[in-house]
Amino acid sequence: MFQSIITQFLSGFSVVAILVIAALGLAIIFGVAGVINMAHGELIMIGAYTAAVVGKLGGNTFAAIPVAFVVVGLLGLVIERGVIQWIYDRPLETLLATWGVGIILQTVIKLVFGPELYYVGAPKILEGGFRMIGRLPFPWYRLFLIIIAILLLVLVFYVIFKTNFGLKVRAVRRNRAISGCLGIDTARIDMTIFAFGSGLAGVAGAVLAPIKSVSTTMGFPYAVDSYMVLVLGGVGSLWGVLTGSALIGEAETILSFIFNNVIGRLLVFLFIVIVIRIVPRGIFGYHERR
Amino acid sequence: MAEAAARNHQAGESYELRKVAKRGTYRAPPFLPLWALIGGVAAVVLIGAYPYYGSNAYVLSLLGKFLCFAIFALSIDLIWGFAGILSLGQAVYFGIGAYFVALSLKINYALTHPTRYGGKFPDFMEWNGLTELPHFMTPLISTPFAIFCALLVPTLLGLLFGVITFKRHIYGVYCAVITLAESLILQELIIEYQAYTGGFNGITDYSNYATPGFLWFILAVVVIFLVIARALTHSRVGTVLKSIRDNDVRAEFMGYNVANYRIFVFCVSAFMAAAAGALYAAWVGIVSFLDAGPVFSIEGVIWTAVGGRGTLIGPFIGTFLVKGAEFFLSGALAFWWQIIVGGLFIFVVLVLRDGIVGSIGNWLRKRKKGASVRQMIEDSDQKAHDRQLDWSPGGPPSVDEPVR
Repeated sequence: MFQSIITQFLSGFSVVAILVIAALGLAIIFGVAGVINMAHGELIMIGAYTAAVVGKLGGNTFAAIPVAFVVVGLLGLVIERGVIQWIYDRPLETLLATWGVGIILQTVIKLVFGPELYYVGAPKILEGGFRMIGRLPFPWYRLFLIIIAILLLVLVFYVIFKTNFGLKVRAVRRNRAISGCLGIDTARIDMTIFAFGSGLAGVAGAVLAPIKSVSTTMGFPYAVDSYMVLVLGGVGSLWGVLTGSALIGEAETILSFIFNNVIGRLLVFLFIVIVIRIVPRGIFGYHERR
Repeated sequence: MAEAAARNHQAGESYELRKVAKRGTYRAPPFLPLWALIGGVAAVVLIGAYPYYGSNAYVLSLLGKFLCFAIFALSIDLIWGFAGILSLGQAVYFGIGAYFVALSLKINYALTHPTRYGGKFPDFMEWNGLTELPHFMTPLISTPFAIFCALLVPTLLGLLFGVITFKRHIYGVYCAVITLAESLILQELIIEYQAYTGGFNGITDYSNYATPGFLWFILAVVVIFLVIARALTHSRVGTVLKSIRDNDVRAEFMGYNVANYRIFVFCVSAFMAAAAGALYAAWVGIVSFLDAGPVFSIEGVIWTAVGGRGTLIGPFIGTFLVKGAEFFLSGALAFWWQIIVGGLFIFVVLVLRDGIVGSIGNWLRKRKKGASVRQMIEDSDQKAHDRQLDWSPGGPPSVDEPVR
């Protein structure tokens, strides 16, 4: 029993990786631009469909990642310019508007690609796997997901903390009005950040496509999970994304193993509510100055 | 002398007051304006008397359904439009209410209609390998007890949720996300424990009450709830709730216990949603996991937004318009209907901010440019409402909290 919990713990790392990949784009959009993007799941879904199209054209996941980043990033730019730029000052209503955007994206994709499921294969060199202690098979692709999660985290950390753009982003995050007074074009930062976050969601879709059948409704659970990660870890903190994903991913894997999937999810939800009750702004929550 | 001076002073004061009053300043609006009374009675009679002048059974079933949905939208409007709490999991309370009633009706139906193998308990339980009614469900044979549970359990759940979140200043976005996850998980629970809930197929095939008499009953509930909601929003409590919606920090500083007010209105709303669910289950005769899911919750939010949040009649108009359009257009437009719904969300947020009723109200107010005090109060209300300072995750920092 103890050993199998250890193996579950190890395989839980891939769940953590999936959560990190899915939540990163949202963390940036929600944390910096303050937009509650309910279309996040649909952006992931479109990333996955992009991967499916790239797969049809003969490419593999490695080729799909940059394509999905560009395609979904541009889509995010369109959404930002078309809808969200007018409602930054009403964050709760961005929730409704982006939900509408999500419905439209789902329907359009269904019209274009039809209701059937698509399957995207993993790249040839990532097929198969190895066996961990306890003889539990561990596919190479899961390892690849963990590596991708680490790479994406490093990329986002680099962009936010080491570049000039990231400096401006952090300034806007801290105090929008003063940043504007100091000559930062805050609207432009919001726009770029939204496109960047959408692009990351696209990458998430492209990477997650091989482990899940691609359908128009695949995104919503990812979006809810991402929100739970942010709520637990704290909005606007990259460490929060990592911590939230780690706690939720591991807890869900182990609890699902002990009980069953649904009870596992229920317990994780209760756990999140209890944590939020103790630290209302999440573990790495940022105290906003008003 | 002093007495006379005091009397003079008093007289002067009351004269001043009279002068102010003469200028036509703030007067509390009547509990029920005449036009609302006439319109309400007309609407109730028009809907309730449908079985006597119309013969379309489909339209009749839709009417009862829409009324239940409208109560559901009203419950969302109470917390969102009047207290600023956006819940995306209101369907949890609707669903629990509906499932209690549906289970009870199904169990009673099974007593007189044995399943194919002769079991006197719901057929979906038999399909899932149960051999008799689970013991914890036997009290549900009594329908009054089931109705009691259907109303009480969601209210207590709402109380629990409120105590957990609002006491710690969790509202706004965090509240929306947590309630969303709540309804998603309830949906998964229903599907997983299909032996007790009917799972994916839901609970079907029991004797429902789609009769003209029951339509009158639903209408009576609607009227009672509207009166309750009107009394609530027009009382002192309602004023405090609106002030919390517009600026909760200030309300807190003025000495109101913001959390308790929020918890109270959340419980009232959960109760109404549960009642709507119970009526729905009895009227429609089919309850499925979708009735407890996040999509239905958000649909309720959009009905409220289209009709006009912060108005009591808005949810009804919104529900009847959107749902009616869906039923009569989705056949012809099929796929495009979803795009229209999505566009409606964006349109309501970008253009029609106050919904249909709210926009008409704004237009009427602008027309009579009397600049009464009441109008000024309402305008400033509106501005504060537009600013919506309530989003900061976890709420505003409390005084003793260190600012990093």
